[in-house]
Amino acid sequence: MNDKTFHSIHITKDKCIGCVHCMSACPTKAIRVADGKARIIDQLCIDCAECLRVCPHEAVHSHTTSFAALEAFDYKVAIPSTVIYGQFGSSVLPNEILSALRRIGFDEVYDLSSICELNCAATEEYLSEHARPRPFISPTCPVVVRIIQRRYPSLCGQILPIEPPREIAAKILRTILPKALGIPPEKIGIIHITPCPAKMVSINSPATLQKSYLDGAISIRDIFPQILKALRKSEEDSLMRHLFPETLFSGVGMGWSLSGGEIRGLKSHRAVAVSGIRDTMRVLDQVEGGLLQDIDLLECTVCPDGCVGGPLGVENRFLAKSRILELVAAAGEHAVVDQKDVSRLYHRNFLSFDHPVSPAETRPLDNSPVKAIRKAKLRDKILAALPLKDCGVCGAPDCRTLADDIVRGYARIEACPFAEPAGKPAKKKEKR
Amino acid sequence: MPAAESVFRREFPVKGGDFARAGEAACEIKELLKELGLDASTVRRAAIVAYEAEMNVVMYAREARMDLAVSPGEVHLVVEDRGPGIPDVELAMTEGYSTATAEMRELGFGAGMGLPNIKRNADVFAIDSEVGRGTRLDIIIRTNGHVTP
Repeated sequence: MNDKTFHSIHITKDKCIGCVHCMSACPTKAIRVADGKARIIDQLCIDCAECLRVCPHEAVHSHTTSFAALEAFDYKVAIPSTVIYGQFGSSVLPNEILSALRRIGFDEVYDLSSICELNCAATEEYLSEHARPRPFISPTCPVVVRIIQRRYPSLCGQILPIEPPREIAAKILRTILPKALGIPPEKIGIIHITPCPAKMVSINSPATLQKSYLDGAISIRDIFPQILKALRKSEEDSLMRHLFPETLFSGVGMGWSLSGGEIRGLKSHRAVAVSGIRDTMRVLDQVEGGLLQDIDLLECTVCPDGCVGGPLGVENRFLAKSRILELVAAAGEHAVVDQKDVSRLYHRNFLSFDHPVSPAETRPLDNSPVKAIRKAKLRDKILAALPLKDCGVCGAPDCRTLADDIVRGYARIEACPFAEPAGKPAKKKEKR
Repeated sequence: MPAAESVFRREFPVKGGDFARAGEAACEIKELLKELGLDASTVRRAAIVAYEAEMNVVMYAREARMDLAVSPGEVHLVVEDRGPGIPDVELAMTEGYSTATAEMRELGFGAGMGLPNIKRNADVFAIDSEVGRGTRLDIIIRTNGHVTP
């Protein structure tokens, strides 16, 4: 499963009508439309799912784990993202949601809010011990890690080397459960439940681990109907939920899925939260330009408002956010994690990356600098002959990208119906 | 001096006081250097230099032109502005010295790191300023340079 080019986002050709919505929405210009179908360039795709959000024909889908695939395991464990607590309206309590998951077939279900709190405490300790570099960038959002590898390779060393809560939780369970249950490790399936398509990418091709501790990720959207059904049943049979122990929710970790939630628990460090893919890229540009060095930690999540805005959720993100804020307020500053435990795990490197994030292969115009310079000049010439209207008719998102594709040998100038014949720059005509 | 044929040139106009677009030229320069296949450390140093130089123009000058010339061995950046000039260049090169206004500091600029930071990241750095006319920076970053940020 260690496929280096694994992607969660795919285009279903049968449904794609070759319109240009996805192409213009893609922040890394990874989509082209050719022969009436959209195509994703693997090397450029960061699995941010902006295309999935805008496709009017549901032709973009994400590979997540199917519920049926869990049959391969004797013992099934779910660790749902805290986003799930915001999906069912104000009358449904987190404990009921966890119980519902047990009822639909998980042998055990664990809350992540406490691990989020643990992660926050470990982050605080790491920042105190490491004065440089600044700012560190949180690795929680797998898309942020991937965009740094591809577009901001010089920032790889600034990714905070502490695994995100989902991996820490799975690692703890993987360490404890086989012994506690007497079941062989490979027969225990640990599954994340998430609104995020990119989690499958971080599970199948982890950027910082030899192997992910998770066995898969089910989308909230897929499992939602079953949870709803189980919740209705438990109304009739409300005693059921008393069969399960009460979970202690962490007030510090409960809001983790909202932008700013990750850094809310930091007491002695200056942290800033950014959300949305375009703002994230703008801020990473500034960091690469040497700015923001007075900030200790940068929390970047590419979904709007944080993970709660993930495309595979069900409830709209505003209502989900409002519900989670209610839960955060109800939980208050309630801490469930013992600082000494965190410190012990932290110093045993239990929470650390296996290896640092390494830059992805870069994509220069040519591997020879001399040829690359020649191609850049040629590209400028080609661009001068293009209309600069970025209409997308050629199948590239904008004129600049078409010119780039042409010098790289992926497209021909004939793709543009408006291109001026060589030697007559389009700009002159504009002035007439 | 590398042969003209193996040099890629581009000019970037920068307008003083245009905070909305501040940093765009530096970003474009950074992207370009990546596409030209320069190593990550050179790109990083050039990005920092270009960003600081652009911000200086935005904050203090009326307008400027940034001239970029890239050859396989080096990145050459000349930033020539029309603006107030710097009365005491030596003082301006002191770390922490800044004439930034409260508003500029509010925006996170003007920590007095600009010029010294440019010099630190450059392999060759020359500054020439005339009060009432403007300032000219001449910067070379070598791809095998020894400076690391």
